Amino acid sequence: VEIVYYIVLVPMVYLACAIFVVGTLIRLVKIILEPRHPTTLQIYPEKRPRWLWALHDTFLFPTVIRHKPVFWVVLMLFHIVFLLLIIGHIELIAEIKVFQVIPHEVFLGKGFVGLILCLAVLYFLLRRLVSPYRDLSVPEDYYLLILLFLTFIFGSQMDWARRWYGYDSLSVDAYREYLSSLLSLRPYVSSDLIATGHSFMLLLHVFFANLFLMFFPFSDFMHSVLSLPMNKLKRG
Amino acid sequence: MDTKTRDDLLKLFQSKLDEAMRLYLEQCTRCGLCTEACHAYASMGQIRYIAAYRHEIVRRIYKRYFKGRGKVWPSVGEAKELSEMALEELYEAAYSCTGCRRCMMYCPFGIDTQMLMSIAKLLLVGAHAEPEILTMLADTSIEKGKSLDLFKESFLVGIKKLEAEVVKKWRIEAGETAIPVDVEGADLLYVALAGAHSIVPAAAVFNAAGENWTLSFFEAVNFGAFVGDPTKTKLILDRIINEAKRLKVKEVCICECGTAYRVMKQLSGKQPFEVSAITEAHARYLREGRIKLDKSKFKKKPITYHDPCQIARNGGVIDEARYVLQHLTDDFREMSPDPRYNWCCGGGGGLVALGEDTLDFRMKSAKVKVDQVQETGAKILATACENCHAQLNDLNDHYEMGVDVQYLSSMVADALVQ
Repeated sequence: VEIVYYIVLVPMVYLACAIFVVGTLIRLVKIILEPRHPTTLQIYPEKRPRWLWALHDTFLFPTVIRHKPVFWVVLMLFHIVFLLLIIGHIELIAEIKVFQVIPHEVFLGKGFVGLILCLAVLYFLLRRLVSPYRDLSVPEDYYLLILLFLTFIFGSQMDWARRWYGYDSLSVDAYREYLSSLLSLRPYVSSDLIATGHSFMLLLHVFFANLFLMFFPFSDFMHSVLSLPMNKLKRG
Repeated sequence: MDTKTRDDLLKLFQSKLDEAMRLYLEQCTRCGLCTEACHAYASMGQIRYIAAYRHEIVRRIYKRYFKGRGKVWPSVGEAKELSEMALEELYEAAYSCTGCRRCMMYCPFGIDTQMLMSIAKLLLVGAHAEPEILTMLADTSIEKGKSLDLFKESFLVGIKKLEAEVVKKWRIEAGETAIPVDVEGADLLYVALAGAHSIVPAAAVFNAAGENWTLSFFEAVNFGAFVGDPTKTKLILDRIINEAKRLKVKEVCICECGTAYRVMKQLSGKQPFEVSAITEAHARYLREGRIKLDKSKFKKKPITYHDPCQIARNGGVIDEARYVLQHLTDDFREMSPDPRYNWCCGGGGGLVALGEDTLDFRMKSAKVKVDQVQETGAKILATACENCHAQLNDLNDHYEMGVDVQYLSSMVADALVQ
């Protein structure tokens, strides 16, 4: 059993990160190396500065709020909370003062970050079971959402356990010790990490998160990177 | 489908791949936000008319042959073989899309359906499965460009006959030509369509504005663009570019034809001349006080204006039409509060050119347009595109809308104050 823990928590994490970084870069470079389209693909009337409007379209989803306001609320919430999720994980590597501008306990969000993400993904998933979205979706769309859900639910479990059930056998310090050792390329998996009641949650969370990172460059998760250049095309 | 044919078609597919096309092909989350964007879906409620559904028909082939994932694990993205059946689906998707790009106003990424449909159209051309009539019309245009001398004489005779009609709309001084042709050093080259309706009113307005203009030998319409053949599109376009260079004009003014305007404006590249739509020229003449219009001509008849997609949303000529209309009426009724969201007439992308073959679909798919026009309560429905005009006329007859469909340029010519 220990060897399974070790494989998932150390070599698989390195592999996933490598695939994530290299895969994303290769995919971007391949697109960038293609010749530019000879004509403009913009929609009129144009607004300037174009790059600012492209940023506006990318980060505020104006077309969504106009046509599907409820969807926009969930979508916006999901993406904002996802950002908090990233910050929360960075804080699990080491204490970072900048993030403590608004003082909070690590992991931030009092357990609601994970809850919102889980509920939002469920909404996205259930939405796709209804026509016409069902007719438009392909298996990949469901797989990716299920993968996200699994990653979120096991991750949240660890957060909720400490916050809500008062079960704090895995401390922030234990995570920091593990993650910073990974970052410094001197991986160390303490017995705290693999011998407590919640270790199995950790194992599953890291396993699915690894899969997420590995699939990222080859899937529609790439919209997080490709949305800006595409919206720029629309803005001219 | 045999291997050789498939390989040839995939080469054509490959030829369409550039940075923008890769982005459009590789990124769609199928969120379905585009569902209500298409007039065909909004009118008929069939899933196959949703933009994302159309995209996937092209995208599945892309995934199968151009992405590793489609080879390793095709079912996850529903990657699909290029087969005879796939060609039928491509036809259905491409020739029920008017290329209006309204769906880009819904897509959070701004995916351009017209671009993706251009791949479908090119594959159909490669498989000789495109609507033949469009290719024939494109070939005729190209032939005309190659052998100008053969038809020059008859063209000039035809034009001469129209001059009397021009003079009826605007008197000219003795010794002046009502329709100048082949004038080297003219300021403006006007590219019309075949037919007096595209030449006579325009000529009257140019003469009224004192424009130093000349009429092109060629018709503006680009059937190469309709059928999605980039080589033919370029050849048809080059006839006009070469003529403009030969005559050393400063401006090429395109008649009321959406496709012709967009192709000339956006595809001609850097040239020694400017490109304008005739609506822009008319707005300019009004602004400079070179022509005056009489509003009483259309009194008691509220006017609405249909923005041709290729000229407005996709070409940027929006305010000019409103400026011209201000000089024609005090009762102008806007159709859509934001012209970017104006419904397509349902006739673009070559559908009107296919005539009776597409009539049933064109009528059914443009019901939302009819509703939009009727909500304005207007009696005159003005537009600035031949295709839109033909389609709106068909809709007017079919749905008994009781409006008078007019070309904006003709209205300007009719309201000229001598």
